[in-house]
Amino acid sequence: MGKVVAGGSRGMGQDGEVEGFDDAYLVRRAQDGYLDAYAELVNRHSLLAYRVALRILGHHQDAEDVAQDALVTAWQQLPQFRGESSFSTWLYRIVTRRALNWISRDRRHGSADVLPELADSSAQADIAFERTETVGAVAAAIQALPPAQRVVVVLHHLEGLPYADVAAITASSVAAVRSQLYRARRALGSALAEWR
Amino acid sequence: MTGPSGARRLLDPASQPLPCGAGVDELLEQVADGDADRLTEHQRTCPHCRAAIAELRVLWAPVQEYARQPVRLPRLLRASVLRQLDRLVHDVWYTLQLTDTGAVRVAARVVAAVARDAASRVPGVRVALGRSTEAGSAGLVSRATTGHLHPHAAVGVLGRTAVVDLALAVSYGEPVHQVAREVQRRVIAELRENLGLQSVTVNVAVDDVAAEPADQQQH
Repeated sequence: MGKVVAGGSRGMGQDGEVEGFDDAYLVRRAQDGYLDAYAELVNRHSLLAYRVALRILGHHQDAEDVAQDALVTAWQQLPQFRGESSFSTWLYRIVTRRALNWISRDRRHGSADVLPELADSSAQADIAFERTETVGAVAAAIQALPPAQRVVVVLHHLEGLPYADVAAITASSVAAVRSQLYRARRALGSALAEWR
Repeated sequence: MTGPSGARRLLDPASQPLPCGAGVDELLEQVADGDADRLTEHQRTCPHCRAAIAELRVLWAPVQEYARQPVRLPRLLRASVLRQLDRLVHDVWYTLQLTDTGAVRVAARVVAAVARDAASRVPGVRVALGRSTEAGSAGLVSRATTGHLHPHAAVGVLGRTAVVDLALAVSYGEPVHQVAREVQRRVIAELRENLGLQSVTVNVAVDDVAAEPADQQQH
C-alpha cells in the first residue's frame, strides 16, 4: 500500500501564518518537491512581485513579464534558498535584480506607463492605479530617478521596508542605502515642488 | 515660507541650512519616514524647523498617497506562472492505457491532484500536498521501469503503475496512524476508480499537526 511516516509538530499563531501554515513550512515542502506548496507561495506573493516590478519599471506589461520571470526563477533557485531571510525578502531580491536587468537591457526605454491604459476601456478591470494628477506626477518623478535610486525609494518609501532590509535586498550597506535615499528624496522633492 | 516657492527654495541645491543650522535633508528624511510629528526638543521651539517641516510635509504627501494606491494583480499572472512551472516539471507521464481506439495518457499532476483531493476529504486531514515531480519514490519507480516502457510511451511512462507521495497535516488530537491509513485506502480506491490505475502505491508522510479552524471548533 505504501509507507506512513509521522513526524514534526508545530503550534498555531506564529507570525506570517495564513490558515495555520506559514511561508517557511511551504518553502520546506516546496524544496522537497511538492509543487502545490510552491503554488500557494505564488498565490501569496505574486502581488508583491508584480507591485515592486511595476513601481520600478513603470510599465504594466514589463512588470508582468518580470514578476512572472522572478516567480519562476525563485522556484528554480529554491534548492539554494537556506531560509536565512524570509521568503518575501528573498523574493524582493530576485524581483529587483530582474527589474534592474530589464532596465539595463533597455527594453521599452522611456515608455513609462505606471498608470493604466485608459484608452482601452476593456483594460479598466485590471487598472492598477487610479489615474490622478498627483499620483501621475509622483510616478513620473520616480521614473525619472536613476535605477539604483528608484529601487531604494520603491523598497523603503513605497514598500515600507527598513533600511537594513533594503540593504540586504540590494546587496549594499545601510550607509549606502541612506546615501542613495538622500539624493533620491531631494530629486523627488524638487520635481514635486516644480509640479505644484 | 509657504507654497511651492518655499519648497523650491528649501530644496535648491545651492540652498543653505536653515538659519538655526538644521539641514534640509535631515528634515526631509524625518518627514518622509513618517516622523514629522516626532519633534526634537530643538524643533519644538524653533520656528524655522517647524515651518520647514510643515512645508516638506505638504510636499511629500503625494508620495505617501502614491504608496497607498492599491495595485491590482493582473488576472492571468498567477496562472501563467503555474503553467510555466507545470511545463518545467510535468513532462513525465505516469500512466498510459492502450485501448482499441487509441492511447489514454494521464499526466502526473492529474494523478497528484486526484490523490490530494481524495486525501483532503478524509476526516482529520487539515492539509494534503501531493508531490507530482520526479523527486523521491516517483523518480525511483521511473528509473526502475525504464527498460519496460511501451514503444508508444514518452520517457517516464509507467503503464498502469503510479506512485504518489502525500504530505499531510493532521488535526490535533486525531489518531494519526488511523488517519494516514484511511488516506491511503481512499486515495488508492479513488485512483483505481477514476483513473483506471491498477498498481498504486501511496506513501504518506504526516509532518504536521494543526488545530481545527476556529469556525470548526466546538465551544
